[in-house]
Amino acid sequence: MADVLGKLKGAILEFDEDAALEAAKEAVAEGVDPVKAIGALAEGLNELGEAFEKMEVFLPEIMLASDAFKAALEILEPELKKTHKEGEKAIPVVIGTIQGDVHQVGKDMVATFLTTAGFDVHDLGVDVAPSRFLEEAKKIDAKIIAVAALMSTTRPVQKDLIDFLEAKGVRDNYIVLVGGGVVTQEWADEIKADGYGQDAIATVEIAKKLLHVA
Amino acid sequence: MGKTTKERVLGALRGEKEGIAAISVCQYATYELMEKTGAYWPEAHYEAEPMAKLAAGGATVIGLGAVRVPYCQTVEAEIYGAKIKDGGKTHIPSIAEHPYKIGDEPEIPEDFVNKGRIPAVLEAIRILKRDVGDKAVVMGSIVGPFSVAANLVGISALLKASLKKPDSIVPYIEAATETAIQYAEAVIEAGADALVIEDMMASLDMISPRTYRALAAPYEQRVIAALGKRIPVIVHICGKLDQVMLDIAATGADAISVESAVDIPAARKKFDEAGVKTPIIGAVHPIKALLEGTPEDVAAAVRKSAEDGAALISPDCAVAPNTPLKQLIAMVEATEQL
Ligand code: B12
Ligand SMILES: [Zn+2]
Repeated sequence: MADVLGKLKGAILEFDEDAALEAAKEAVAEGVDPVKAIGALAEGLNELGEAFEKMEVFLPEIMLASDAFKAALEILEPELKKTHKEGEKAIPVVIGTIQGDVHQVGKDMVATFLTTAGFDVHDLGVDVAPSRFLEEAKKIDAKIIAVAALMSTTRPVQKDLIDFLEAKGVRDNYIVLVGGGVVTQEWADEIKADGYGQDAIATVEIAKKLLHVA
Repeated sequence: MGKTTKERVLGALRGEKEGIAAISVCQYATYELMEKTGAYWPEAHYEAEPMAKLAAGGATVIGLGAVRVPYCQTVEAEIYGAKIKDGGKTHIPSIAEHPYKIGDEPEIPEDFVNKGRIPAVLEAIRILKRDVGDKAVVMGSIVGPFSVAANLVGISALLKASLKKPDSIVPYIEAATETAIQYAEAVIEAGADALVIEDMMASLDMISPRTYRALAAPYEQRVIAALGKRIPVIVHICGKLDQVMLDIAATGADAISVESAVDIPAARKKFDEAGVKTPIIGAVHPIKALLEGTPEDVAAAVRKSAEDGAALISPDCAVAPNTPLKQLIAMVEATEQL
């Protein structure tokens, strides 16, 4: 089993989707605990994420590794559902890039890292209207709404989202995390977001901190 | 200082120490500049007259030592067949649909420089030469081959392929090099004093130094070499660049425009050790200093850039259109006081 776990992690470190798929199938065939298997994948991605911050690996590696991660996850998730008991339900998160903004790469990275950390991430994609965030958050009973903005012209729409939640009287039901290139801690404070994620790893930490898990 | 702003800009681009001046290598149109000049987006993206009128405000209203067109980075991709989403009055046009999927054979559009918005850009350059050419350097701005390729197939697809199947994206970069040379030739013919190559995707935020050396630098170099030093060429690349500054200089660029993410003193030191004289342009942060800062923050950023060894002062990158004019004017004034 250690061998399969090593293969899973290695496939991520090599950002090799085919290898990740194969290792995931092997894990299922051998009856490896899917939580452990996903943990091995996450370990690989986190290591890459740290190397990315040190500029030892670059964005293409992260993108391919994320693809590999998602592919393997698709194989492992059904197993997870079989073995998982109620009460251990992953915390639902809605994520998206705000209306008017189509930058996707950083938001995807955050979504992947939240998934690796065990969150149940619902990605609405890019150019997402405030009302759409709320609609989905209600539907899945989300605890966190995470919103990206990459441009000075779309950053104000993050505030619109918070005002919208306020106006609907549901602001306190959600932890709102903001991030993306132009977003700063000051901006997050100014619009009364609950947290700011400088990068994907920091976002996972702040999410956990605000939820008082780990 | 004696010399006019324009002389100082041209001097700096020739590597002479004529004194420092403020320019904006990337787009500087703001909503207030539109009010002042009476030329607005979206027309200024498509028609020569308003395009030139808005750009001229860079010199007449802000006091920049150089003016430039166009305002967005989608001109080339549109001619290759990309679907463009208009940005209306407030945004710049962006790409709604990429014309190619990796594997398709890229087709170089015939008669490239007479297509799409290029004729408007060229006409705007002529108008700018006529109207403000005496006081400002007129710059035409084109997109670097690697970044055009990103617009042709989509950045995600390009980046992933750059790692595993670099050969599969070379044809797009080759085609984009071909059309970049044609476009740059036409910009020179229209009378521009300088050329900007914006290669925003060739950043270490996006690719590794190895990929920059293999898939971006050689093509920037080919465009620059083809122009044979007729006008100075500024290469602008966004974001982090520390590990490739010498490689950018080796493309033959007459100047390198960088963001404040770049360690300019370290680059200057490396350049000195290697006997490289290429001037570096920068680096006033468009959000922290220009958009959100005070005029004093802007002045501090100007002074820091000058101390760091910048030969010309410029915002890091594109100016956000909601930036107050007084902030840009503060950048010019602080530069004049150096
Ligand atoms: C790639 C890119 C594009 C691609 C996007 C492709 C895609 N599918 O995503 C394309 C070519 C489509 C594009 C288009 C445009 N872009 Co663009 N783009 C970039 C670029 C070069 C990189 C962005 C990126 O992916 N970075 C890599 C990721 C990993 O970093 P990141 O996004 O910052 O994410 C990290 C953190 O911010 C954080 N994070 C991200 N999301 C979230 C979300 C949450 C909730 C949290 C907590 C944290 C978090 O974690 C991530 C991982 O560490 C930036 C410049 C730059 N260097 O940042 C410009 C940039 C963002 N773009 C810019 C502009 C102006 C545009 C266009 C208007 C240009 C045009 N005319 O085409 C259009 C806009 C289209 C639109 N309507 O949105 C400007 C914005 C200027 C400003 N400050 O307002 C920038 C800054 C470039 C510049 N300097 O001018 N762009
Ligand atoms: Zn830039």
